[in-house]
Amino acid sequence: MAALIRGLRAGRVLRGLGSVAVQGTLSPQCSNVRRGFHRAALLRLANDSKSDTSVPPPSYHEVDTAGESSSSSAHGESSEDAQPNTSFQDQSGEHGEDYETEEQLQARILTAALVYCVCVVNAAPSESTGWRFTTNHRPGFTDEMLIGRCLQGRNCISKKTAEFLRDAVEMRLRMLIPYIDTWPRAMSILLLPHNIPDSLKHLSTMVDDIWYYAGDRSTDVNWYTRRAALTGIYNTTELVMVQDSSPDFEETWAFLDNRIKDVVNMANTAKQVQATGEAVVQGLMGAAITLKNLTGMNQRR
Amino acid sequence: MQRAAKCALRRDLSRAFCPSSVRNCRAVKRVNSSVLCRRYSVLPPPRDEEEKAMLDSMLRVDHAGEYGANRIYAGQMAVLGRTQTGPLIQYMWDQEKMHLERFNEILGEHRVRPTLLLPLWNIAGFALGACTALLGKEGSMACTVAVEDSISEHYNSQIRTLIEADPERYTELLQLIKEFRDDEIEHHDTGLEHDAESVPGYLILKTVIQVGCKAAIYISQRI
Repeated sequence: MAALIRGLRAGRVLRGLGSVAVQGTLSPQCSNVRRGFHRAALLRLANDSKSDTSVPPPSYHEVDTAGESSSSSAHGESSEDAQPNTSFQDQSGEHGEDYETEEQLQARILTAALVYCVCVVNAAPSESTGWRFTTNHRPGFTDEMLIGRCLQGRNCISKKTAEFLRDAVEMRLRMLIPYIDTWPRAMSILLLPHNIPDSLKHLSTMVDDIWYYAGDRSTDVNWYTRRAALTGIYNTTELVMVQDSSPDFEETWAFLDNRIKDVVNMANTAKQVQATGEAVVQGLMGAAITLKNLTGMNQRR
Repeated sequence: MQRAAKCALRRDLSRAFCPSSVRNCRAVKRVNSSVLCRRYSVLPPPRDEEEKAMLDSMLRVDHAGEYGANRIYAGQMAVLGRTQTGPLIQYMWDQEKMHLERFNEILGEHRVRPTLLLPLWNIAGFALGACTALLGKEGSMACTVAVEDSISEHYNSQIRTLIEADPERYTELLQLIKEFRDDEIEHHDTGLEHDAESVPGYLILKTVIQVGCKAAIYISQRI
């Protein structure tokens, strides 16, 4: 739910980006990818609806036809809607009709925006369009919108959080698979000095989104350490993926698994160290008081 | 939040339907859609990047301020906790804890980044509270007076900014900040009542602390 709202914002961003880059006709490859994404999105919506007990699943036909018609229409104008704030947990028992209507509306917008995003990135990389091509290669918002929508049912306990992070990063990296051959070139374009502010902003927004939908609501230095850790994981996994030749990138997912385990272990270790430190301090205080008692310094005279 | 989602839909519906279909919303005579949603969250949904940035920095510095005040009182309690002023400091500390809780909720809800220097304010606040408490009860009261003076002045300037921008839009936030400012002024007056001014070097102490607070506020707004 929250993720869909983010998708509206994503659509607005994409509209700004895409209006620069979309030119010419859509290739047949594009429309196949579009259809694939469309089906995937609908399937995910259906799965999520089944797991989301309080919401009746939207009808396939309605979303399907609505999606098709809106995707063939103008560029993401449906994403003009303003952004209400939503949070990770949704309890919608009391608002049956409104909720469903909003869900269906947003499902339509979601599929339209996502489809639009995919089609845009099919332009062949060239010197002049290199930057715009790469910009559209980072559909950060849309991904997290979809990811959040799919995986929203999970609670934010640490094991599930780790799974959510893993699935989110995997899902995001899988979107690179169709373009994996030209992706190194795109990465180098992103690292050009005059592109770095924008690419950093994309990356940080994406990582922030993933943590937000994983349930992170921290307001202390953990906010920074978590995002830094996930940025490291994402970047290294992306690099591994680019030179991975195993079937369906299995080695990349194994690498990702190990990195996420590392981060979880480190977090647990940090907690243990803190607990041990506190226990040690308590012990020292106790020892000091015992000493004071033994030497008679604690008595009042 | 589901409540805010309800707001969003109501905002859309209000353009088509009569606003009387919406329950529990004041100012129904106005069709201004932002009014319908305000019941449910402290901030209005941001209408553009600039507003989000402004509100973010305001909330960030407020959160940092409450966090720092929390640590200052903790430092004072560590030294003076078992004396006669203990209960008084504890009472003021509990109010600051409530403020911090509230800001934590708001930051989490609205995805505001906390300031990077929180560990620094942690140590500095505790050190300031402990050092001034070592000067005795008057010292800790003087520190309280100085800090609360800074904070209430800062809240007042925020209130002015929000009122100049759009009082209708930020009603809840204004209400919240006004309430916290009143609490801080109460602490300031309590400090004065309990012989803050009788500490030696009161003016110097007060000036130094207030300069430090201003610097902290300036930095926390940006970083």
